Amino acid sequence: MMPLSMAKNGEVNYIKRITGKDQIRQHLADLGFVVGECVTVVSNLGGNMIIDVKGTRIALDKNMLNRIIV
Amino acid sequence: MEIRIALAGNPNSGKTTVFNGLTGSNQYVGNWPGVTVEKKEGRLKGSKDIIIQDLPGIYSLSPYTLEEVVARNYLINEKPDAILNIVDASNLERNLYLTTQLMELGLPVVVALNMIDVVRKTGDVIDIRKLKEHLGCEVVETSAVKGEGIKEAADLAAKLAKEKKAARPGNKFSDTVEHAISQIEDLIRDLVSPDQLRWFAIKAFERDKDMLGQLNLSSEVLEKIEEVIAGCENELDDDSESIITNERYSCINRIMKSCVKKNRKPGDLTTSDKIDLIVTNRWLALPIFAAVMFIVYFVSITTVGSWVTDWTNDVLFGEIIPPAVENFLINIGCSDWLVSLIVDGIVAGVGAVLGFVPQMLVLFFFLAFLEYCGYMARIAFIMDRIFRKFGLSGKSFIPLLIGSGCGVPGVMASRTIENDRDRRMTIMTTTFIPCSAKLPIIALISGALFGGAWWVAPSAYFVGIAAIISSGIILKKTRLFSGDPAPFVMELPAYRWPSPSNVLRSMWERGWSFIKKASTIILLSTIAVWFASNFGISDGKFGMVEDLSDGFLARIGNGLAWLFTPLGWGSWQATVATLTGLVAKENIVGTLGILYGIAEVSEDGAEIWSAVASSFTPLAAYSFLVFNLLCAPCFAAVGAIRREMSNTRWTLLALGYQTTLAYVVSLCIYQLGSLFSGGAFGAGTVVSIVLVVTFLYLLFRPADIKRSLKADPIVQ
Repeated sequence: MMPLSMAKNGEVNYIKRITGKDQIRQHLADLGFVVGECVTVVSNLGGNMIIDVKGTRIALDKNMLNRIIV
Repeated sequence: MEIRIALAGNPNSGKTTVFNGLTGSNQYVGNWPGVTVEKKEGRLKGSKDIIIQDLPGIYSLSPYTLEEVVARNYLINEKPDAILNIVDASNLERNLYLTTQLMELGLPVVVALNMIDVVRKTGDVIDIRKLKEHLGCEVVETSAVKGEGIKEAADLAAKLAKEKKAARPGNKFSDTVEHAISQIEDLIRDLVSPDQLRWFAIKAFERDKDMLGQLNLSSEVLEKIEEVIAGCENELDDDSESIITNERYSCINRIMKSCVKKNRKPGDLTTSDKIDLIVTNRWLALPIFAAVMFIVYFVSITTVGSWVTDWTNDVLFGEIIPPAVENFLINIGCSDWLVSLIVDGIVAGVGAVLGFVPQMLVLFFFLAFLEYCGYMARIAFIMDRIFRKFGLSGKSFIPLLIGSGCGVPGVMASRTIENDRDRRMTIMTTTFIPCSAKLPIIALISGALFGGAWWVAPSAYFVGIAAIISSGIILKKTRLFSGDPAPFVMELPAYRWPSPSNVLRSMWERGWSFIKKASTIILLSTIAVWFASNFGISDGKFGMVEDLSDGFLARIGNGLAWLFTPLGWGSWQATVATLTGLVAKENIVGTLGILYGIAEVSEDGAEIWSAVASSFTPLAAYSFLVFNLLCAPCFAAVGAIRREMSNTRWTLLALGYQTTLAYVVSLCIYQLGSLFSGGAFGAGTVVSIVLVVTFLYLLFRPADIKRSLKADPIVQ
């Protein structure tokens, strides 16, 4: 178990848990970040990342990445 | 009877392209999420009674951003007759999440599998027949860019609307959840129409406050519903909203498994990903960004743009048109005042503005290219880390970039920012970036007083960016704006080659609206300026004046000029030009053109420029430039600010802040600049030193943490 922010480029991970407030969690879920989903780090720019989830690319800042536990 | 078909879908799924294709209109399209920020209407080509409505893109019907609220309220309260759900077939899984929700609204739904050409290219296969069965609605393959299938999809939607055939969700949730939902349905059955029953029941299960509010339930019923929800939550060990989300995704998983054959494995890199590895690389991202921006502005303002602009200004509006018009008018025997109005007023004023069209077209071309190819969204991502340090999120960068074309769409683009504080701050600072209408001022000052020095135009952008950054820092430390910037979550579209026709069309659209503006509002203003400056009371009689400084305009200008004397340009001409700049910033150049009797704005027209150059020192001219770049924007942009703030106090606060900042910065530039260039030490110097110190204090004082904790707890 680690926050997604610690994953490496190209690594395939599965989401185990998402923490944080309801509204943002729901927005993440709307975008495809749900427990059990597989996520891949496409690019890492000083802590902000581009994540491949359900075939789309989502850019997230470090705080958000810390909430996604893989 | 009119039939209204709403286009709904995820951001960047191609709704606006479909809309343009169906209605033959020319709405603005871009390759980044959030291009459409309000709904637009148009008539279906070749039909009288079918109205197509383009909604902002949404990810789900539980609204997160302002634009999602717009779309959801429309779909629920004003019920269109049918929904045409535009689905990006190359991102089917995520897009179907919204589809499953649209199906529950109790309206006829047609799913348009858009970008099907992209899917075919990747070798993926989608089984349409099975997809129809699973979803419980009609599915049509489309490619909006190629115009394939969209007419059929719209006709099908219209047909279903006439038959009032609501979609029947084929996807069922697990038994436990379905049981809970049917219990809630029984509780609210009498309050809603049968078509909307399932929708409201699910929303009630999710404890959606907006929707529950619309139902006006008694506390007794609410308690019963709460019991049902709590029971289900206990059984499944999750909160109700997540339960529904998971149910939807597992439905979609089943659909994907049976209908879609994918070529790509998770973790495989697409071409787009490979570009991102370079463009958003830790070391290369900023240099690439800086290079792109430098090329865009350098080419459009300093090289290609200005070669053409010089020609239009020097030759076309300098040597060809004015003498030709004058000769023509004299030949047909026009009276002197009319010749003067047309040549010195209209041709001088409007010509001074139109001369900049080529520069603008080049800038618009680059901006359109960046938007279409997908780089614009990456810029937000790249800038986020930096902007965060100044209290803004990377999303604030897109309004700024759009704002460099025109402040009005720039201000409107701020709507994609979820956090109220961030959005207001972005609106307040967007117009600091020089928009295309301010380019003429920059070109005029740099050409007339700095001999076209290379640094003037970039410095104008630098001043704009510095104003935004310092505003960000200062405002974040006040109670009104304190709090962390909103989290950055943004979908990045795949890179694609912009089609030349799209780029050229968008360039022309914006350029044309500039030309239209020059021929309407600016034309009228120049006529008004000409009259006001050429008529006045001299020798006790009303009439045309020999010397413009006897005219009415001169009087008004002289009455207000004292305001700007401390800034170094207290002449009535400069004052009047600034005032007319509020109507449209292009007017500043147009007005100076009339008042100094110049028909051209050029770098080498030394004899004509002596008039302008003699009334400005270079320092005063720079102060004039900075003031006009930063102060309250033109009325159109003020209107946009008013609309987006939807609050008069905030609007006034924004305008007041902008104008004050402009005044302070110009004052400091002029006063301190005079001091350093050997001027006397006077009261103005003291004031400006005090202001600089205050400014530095505001910039570097520690943010009051207690205050920011107390600050409004909205949206986080």
